[in-house]
Amino acid sequence: MRISEQAKQENRSRILDKAAEIFNSKGFEDSTTRDIALAAGLAAGTLFNYFPSKETLAMTMVSEALVQGREDYLRRCTGREELAEELFLFVASGLRRLRPLRPFLGPVLERSLSPFPRKNVCQEGETARQEHLAAVQSILARHGFTEAPDYVAMTMYWSLYLGILAFWSNDTSPNQEASQALIDYSIRMFVQLISGSGADKGEADAS
Amino acid sequence: MQVEDGRDTETLQMEMLLDALPKGSATDPASLALARLITNISNKKVPVSSFSRIWTLGSLQARVSAGYFAYWLRSRFSDAENKQRLKSEAHLAAALKLFGTMGYMRGAVMKVGQLLANLPEVVPEEFAEVLSALHFEAPPMHFAMVREVFLDEFGREPEELFASFDRQAFAAASLGQVHRARLHSGEEVAVKIQYPGIAHTIKADLRNLRLLLQPLCLTIDWQDTLAKLADIERMLLMETDYGQEAAYNRKARLVFNDADRIAVPLVHDQYSTRRVLTTEYLHGCHINDFLATDPGQGERDHFTRLLTVATYRLYYRLHWLPADPHPGNFIFMADGRLGMIDFGCTLTLSDEEWVFSNEAIQAALDKDLQGLNRAIARACRFDDPGDMEPDRLEVIRQGFYWFMEPWQQEGIFDFGDRAFFLRGIDNVIEATRKGYTRSLPMTLWSNRFTFGGRAFCYKLKGRCEFRKIFKQEAAGAAAKLT
Ligand SMILES: Nc1ncnc2c1ncn2[C@@H]1O[C@H](COP(=O)(O)OP(=O)(O)OP(=O)(O)O)[C@@H](O)[C@H]1O
Repeated sequence: MRISEQAKQENRSRILDKAAEIFNSKGFEDSTTRDIALAAGLAAGTLFNYFPSKETLAMTMVSEALVQGREDYLRRCTGREELAEELFLFVASGLRRLRPLRPFLGPVLERSLSPFPRKNVCQEGETARQEHLAAVQSILARHGFTEAPDYVAMTMYWSLYLGILAFWSNDTSPNQEASQALIDYSIRMFVQLISGSGADKGEADAS
Repeated sequence: MQVEDGRDTETLQMEMLLDALPKGSATDPASLALARLITNISNKKVPVSSFSRIWTLGSLQARVSAGYFAYWLRSRFSDAENKQRLKSEAHLAAALKLFGTMGYMRGAVMKVGQLLANLPEVVPEEFAEVLSALHFEAPPMHFAMVREVFLDEFGREPEELFASFDRQAFAAASLGQVHRARLHSGEEVAVKIQYPGIAHTIKADLRNLRLLLQPLCLTIDWQDTLAKLADIERMLLMETDYGQEAAYNRKARLVFNDADRIAVPLVHDQYSTRRVLTTEYLHGCHINDFLATDPGQGERDHFTRLLTVATYRLYYRLHWLPADPHPGNFIFMADGRLGMIDFGCTLTLSDEEWVFSNEAIQAALDKDLQGLNRAIARACRFDDPGDMEPDRLEVIRQGFYWFMEPWQQEGIFDFGDRAFFLRGIDNVIEATRKGYTRSLPMTLWSNRFTFGGRAFCYKLKGRCEFRKIFKQEAAGAAAKLT
């Protein structure tokens, strides 16, 4: 039976909604694609036409949230930010969009964004990573940091970012405020590292 | 920092440090080791110096303070047995390493260290200066971070909430920073924003401070120190809730009227939360800028009187100790009013503390020596004056007499009198040197209240009819009750 493009889109977003609900209530590890298919009113086989695995499902949500976060960041960016400030805005905007997914995100990110090489790369995860890093690179370029050996700077950035994600997904402080401080530190440290000492004063260094 | 660019900076710094340490230490081999240790620790590069307002041992002055602090700690157990002493030195080494990692409190702790290390030669000006510098400062936030706080607190960006909002902070606060803004209704406001997660940092810092002070448990009343640290923690954490501060602020506004010439800024509740406090902006300047205008004696006296009325009104009417009489908390307004802006560190005396506090004052006013001694014993946590060493009783009593001097004097009292202020400092020095520091935690705040206020008035070189004012305020409060 052929179904219309519109019905496909509806199915897809219904699956994503239900999956988010189920991941949130049961946790990622204990949720099954069967549960999700059932909740979405689809046969398990049909669900696989949309998402080949539970991981792909979860990473699709992550990647969509990060796309929205990037849009938020672009909208909020005034163009007057210093490098550290702009990176902060970028990272914080992304996390804000990821917030609804936070309760089940730990194991998902651990699997899909791990910097270690593995056989079955999750394509959604890989895309999310590349897009995120591309955005970071264009921020750096705009602030005049094109000279840095990219793979060094990017590897350092990515490990900091993963550290932030790991801490944040487990942060029990109200509004994850401890993570905000961590982001602040991490980014300032990163900027310091790639720029040598003292290049970026940070506008609030009022003294 | 230029010194760091030279080749032999390590030696250079060592020399400067040794120079700066109290006399005698430069020749003492143990001090040499200590200086080396401090140089090592303070040279530990923290790759984030651009935001290091307080987070790294950046300036030489800070290093020297750290050195002083170490020296002071060490002198506290210098007469302990050798074995004991070695153990303490090991503690100290570990403690200093910790010191290097402390964030929020380091600035303040170093100020105390500097003061303590300088003790025998402290002059009033320095004392007043250190006291006024003695406060905590959060790391600065860039605007992107401020915006995140706003989204969390109000679900809106600062520019959406306010008609206009300055991206740049105009003042630092102990837990965050203050921005100017304008409400849609046109009022100018000051918006104080807390650095995210600062409460957590404070707790961690205090844990570290306890460890840092651990060596002292050999020689002084350790339980007493712990009780005080617990009280400091309680007050600091109380400051992290701006909602509390707003509540204090509202109560304070009620006890002043226009004729008092004392301004407590209005809190705008709609724009305030636990982490953000929006108050009416008060136009004016702080003490240093005020003094820079070379005010006449009349103006100095005027503000001294207002400060006295303001603090004792709060004491008698509300039983409060504004325990943070930091110069930043007072604004000399162009129209001659005194602005009081910070109620974050206000201690409300319990009924028991209130009665006790007044009994002590009354005993001194009545020249009732027995009663006074009993009050002193209690403040020093002894059951009976007879349990105190006579010298301890004497020294503490002298301190209390000093506190009471303005209360006893008819007519005008000159808080700018250097000899008077010096007597107070000398007494603190003597008590500290002799280790007579055991006391109720409450005295931490009453001392801070007294010394902070007097250092302020000393700097101001101001005078007022103190006795008349306190009597008026006490009577005013009594009249309110009946
Ligand atoms: N309503 C106001 N009008 C004018 N200036 C203000 C106002 N509120 C705060 N400020 C400025 O901001 C500074 C810090 O504010 P405040 O004293 O409330 O912060 P704090 O966190 O309690 O700091 P601290 O404990 O160091 O005094 C003040 O010294 C003052 O310069």
